[in-house]
Amino acid sequence: MSELAIRRGAAPALAVRGLSYAYPQAAQPALEDVSLEVAPGEFVLLAGRSASGKSTLLKAACGLVPHFHGGEIEGEVQVADLDAIAAGPGELATAVGYLAQDPETQVVSTTVAAEIELPLEMRGDEPADRARAVEEVALALAIPHLLDRSVDTLSGGELQRVALAAALVTRPRLILLDEPTSQLDPVAGDELIWLLRRLNEEWGVAVLLAEHRLERCLAAADRVVAMEAGRLSFDGAPADFLAWARNADPALETPAARLFSLAGIDPLPIGVRAARQTLRGMGVAHPPNRSSRRVSDPHPQGPVLQVKGLWVELDRGEDPRDVLKGIDLTIQRGERVALMGRNGAGKSTLLRTAAGLHPPAAGKLTVDSIALLTQNPGDYLVRERVGDELLGDEGMAALRVVGLEDKIDADPRDLSGGERQRLALAIALAGRMKGENLPDLVALDEPTRGMDHARKGELVDLIDRLSGNGAFVDREATKSTGAAVVVATHDVEFASEFADRVVLLGDGVVIADGPMAEILSGGWYFATEVARVLDLPGVVTPEQGAAALREEAP
Amino acid sequence: MKSPFAYQPRSRPLQLASPSAAVAYLGALAVVAFLYSNPLVLAAAGVAAVVAGLLAGARRAVEFALKMGLSLAVLVVVVNALVVNRGETVVARLGDFPLLGPVDVTFEAIVAGLSMGLRAAVVLVLGAVYSACVDPDRVLRALRPLAGRSALTATLVSRLVPVAAADAARLRDAARLRGPSAAEVGKAPLARRLLAGSLDRAVDVAATLELRGYSLKAPRPRNRRSRSRYDRRFYAVAALLLAAAVAAKALGADDFQTYPGVEIGLGPATLALSAIVALSGLAPLRRKPKRHRPAADGTKTALYGSKSSRRQERREVARV
Repeated sequence: MSELAIRRGAAPALAVRGLSYAYPQAAQPALEDVSLEVAPGEFVLLAGRSASGKSTLLKAACGLVPHFHGGEIEGEVQVADLDAIAAGPGELATAVGYLAQDPETQVVSTTVAAEIELPLEMRGDEPADRARAVEEVALALAIPHLLDRSVDTLSGGELQRVALAAALVTRPRLILLDEPTSQLDPVAGDELIWLLRRLNEEWGVAVLLAEHRLERCLAAADRVVAMEAGRLSFDGAPADFLAWARNADPALETPAARLFSLAGIDPLPIGVRAARQTLRGMGVAHPPNRSSRRVSDPHPQGPVLQVKGLWVELDRGEDPRDVLKGIDLTIQRGERVALMGRNGAGKSTLLRTAAGLHPPAAGKLTVDSIALLTQNPGDYLVRERVGDELLGDEGMAALRVVGLEDKIDADPRDLSGGERQRLALAIALAGRMKGENLPDLVALDEPTRGMDHARKGELVDLIDRLSGNGAFVDREATKSTGAAVVVATHDVEFASEFADRVVLLGDGVVIADGPMAEILSGGWYFATEVARVLDLPGVVTPEQGAAALREEAP
Repeated sequence: MKSPFAYQPRSRPLQLASPSAAVAYLGALAVVAFLYSNPLVLAAAGVAAVVAGLLAGARRAVEFALKMGLSLAVLVVVVNALVVNRGETVVARLGDFPLLGPVDVTFEAIVAGLSMGLRAAVVLVLGAVYSACVDPDRVLRALRPLAGRSALTATLVSRLVPVAAADAARLRDAARLRGPSAAEVGKAPLARRLLAGSLDRAVDVAATLELRGYSLKAPRPRNRRSRSRYDRRFYAVAALLLAAAVAAKALGADDFQTYPGVEIGLGPATLALSAIVALSGLAPLRRKPKRHRPAADGTKTALYGSKSSRRQERREVARV
C-alpha cells in the first residue's frame, strides 16, 4: 500500500490477528489468541489487572516482542501495513512510537534536544528537517523551554514529556503507552492524558494506552479493550465497558461508576462530566454549603513524630535548595496519614529526614523508632533466600507481621511484586519492633506505583494491620500494638481507602492538614472522582457518595 | 546527588561555543601545562583554568577539582620527596627504611614534586571545566561521522555513569534503612545488586535504542555545523596560546632546573608567557550586551557603548 494511502488512513493503525506469545522459558503464554484492530486516529484504552498481558501486547505492536525478548510467537501483527513480526523495532520506529512506565530508562542522551533528535538522526533525516521536526514536537508538547536542559535536571513529568516527544518526533501513526502516568502526580498525569487526546485529535495519531487508573483516562477514550490472563475479555465503547466490568471484574470499575452502581443509577458515567449530567437530569441537587462530615481525631494515643520548624536543604548538583521550609507536624500513634502533594513538594524528603537520611538544616524532628520503605522495594533485597535476609527471632517476627512466614525458603526474585514489597518492609521493620510491637512509625514512599486495584486492596489491608485498626490476623499471637503509618502517595483514590488524615505539601510547606474526607473533597486535583462528581464536603468514597445520593434522591 | 563534573547547559560563552572551539581553547591550556615545567608558567595555567571555569559558571566543578588536584599535588610532593634522594639541600634525614633505604628529604625533590603536582592539578581543573561546560552530546555527534557506533557507545556511557552513581546512592540508602535484625549488607552483595541493576538498565536502554531506530541502516546525514559567535574568540585565544608557548620555549622561557640545585628562570620571555597564559583565562568572559533605549526621534541609541556613543547620546539629549 502506498505511503499516501497509509497516511490517509486506508490501513488500520494496528491489526493483530490470532496472536499468541510465550516469553522464553515461561510456563504460561503471555498472550493467547489475541485479535484486535485499532483504526487510524482512534484512542483505545487497554484495561486489565497486573500480568494480564497488556504490556506484552504493546511490546508486540512495536516489535520488541519477539525481536528483543525472544520467545515463541504465532499469529499476525501489522502496524501501518508493516509486518511487525518480520520487521524489527527499528524498522517500525517510523510508524509506531512507544512510551514505557519509567521515563528514566527511556532517555539515552544528555540533553533534551539531542534526545528528541536521535530517532531522526538514526533515520537519516537531513539537519534542516530534523531541526524543524524537533521544534514542532517541542511546541506541540509545550516543552520548547526544556530543549537546552540537561535530562537529569528534569522532573518526572518533564522527563515523561521528553520521552513522549522522542516517540512522536518521527510522526508515527500509532503511539503505544504503557502506564505513562504511574509515576506522575495528579496534575502531571491529567495533563499528559489530555495532551494525548489533543495530539490524537489534531495530529490524527492513533493511541493505545494501557492504564490502571481508568478514571483518569476513560473519558478521553473512544474505545476500551480489557485483557485477562493473556486474552481479550472485552472490546467495546467506554460506557459498555463499565456495564461489563460491574459484573465481570468489579476491580476495573471506576469510582464514579461504582458510585452509580451502589446507588442504582444508570447509565454508568465514563467521567465526572457525564456523571454530573446524569445527576442533573435526575433532578438531584446538592445544597452548596452542606456541613462537612468532619471526623473527630480518633487517635489521642500520644505523638510518635513531632516536627517543629523543620528546614531541609538538598544539594542536587546545582545550587543548594530548601526542600522543606519550616514544617510543623505531629503524628499520633495508630494514625494513618496520607502525605500528598505534587512531584517535588517535599514528601519523600520529609520521610527520609525522619529516617535519618537527611540532616535538618534547622528546626527539630523527634521520632523514637521508624521503619521506612522507599520507592524501590527491590533495593532492599540482596540475598537469594527470604530467610537469609532476616536474622533471629526479631527477623521472624517482622516476617510474621507482613504475613510472609511461609515464604522463608523462597528466592525473593520468585515472589510476586506485592510479596517483594512486603518482604522489603519486613527488612525495614526487623529489629525495630519492641518485642512483638511495631515501631512507632512505619513510612511508605509511593508504594502503589504500577499496582492494580486488587493489589492496592491488599496494601490497604496491610496498612490496616500495621496501624492496629484492621483485623490483624495474628494479633492474638503477636500481641502487636499499632504503629502510626505515613504513606507518601499521588494516588487520591488509594488515599481515600486507607487514610484517616491527609497532609498536603506544596513547595516544602504544609498547605492543608486535616481529616481525609475533608481534604480530599475540597479541591480539584487532590480530590477523589466521587468528590468531584458530587462536590459534597466530606464525601469521597463511592460508598459515602451512594449513601448521600440515597438521602438526596427525589 | 548530581556529580559536580556533570555537564550543565548554561548561556555562557564556553557552553555556547562549538565543541571544537571549546576543546581547542581548553586543549591549548593543557598543552602549555604539559610543555612547561616552570612553576610560574604552570601557576599561570592554573589561574587561567580556574578563572575560565568560574567565568563559565562551573564553580562547583572547579572547587571539587581544586580540592582533588591539591590533594594529588601534596601526595606527589610527599612521594617524590621520599623516593628521590637527589639534590644538594637536605632538609631532613629520616634514616633507613626497609624498602626505600636511606631517606634524605631534599629541597630540590620537594620543588620537583611541586612542579609535577601543580601540573597534575592544572590538568585536573581543565578536565573538570571541560566536563562541566562542554556538551558531550555535541562532542560525540561531531565524532559520529568518524566512528558512529563508538560515539554512540560513548554517549550511552556518559549517560549511564551518573545513572549508576544514582543507583548506588539509592542502594546505600536502602542498606542504611534496613532494620538492625536484617542481615547485614556487605560490599559484595551490594556490588552484585548494583551490577544486576546496571544490566537491567542496559537492557532497557538497548530496547529504547532499538525503538529509536538504532538498527536502521539509513545513511547517516552530515551534521549541521554548530557554530557560535564565540567560536572565533576561542580559536584565536587557542592559537595565541600555542604560538606564544612555542615561541617562548624557543626563547628559553622554560628555564627550570631542580637537580642538583633549584634554578627557576624568570626572564622576560617567561614573564610574558605567564602573563599571556593567565590572561587567557578571561576568554570565557561574557561581555554585557549593549542596552538600547529609543531616542526621542524613535531611533535606538546605545546607552552603554563607547565614549563616542555616550557623547552622541549627550548631544541628542541636549538637542531635545
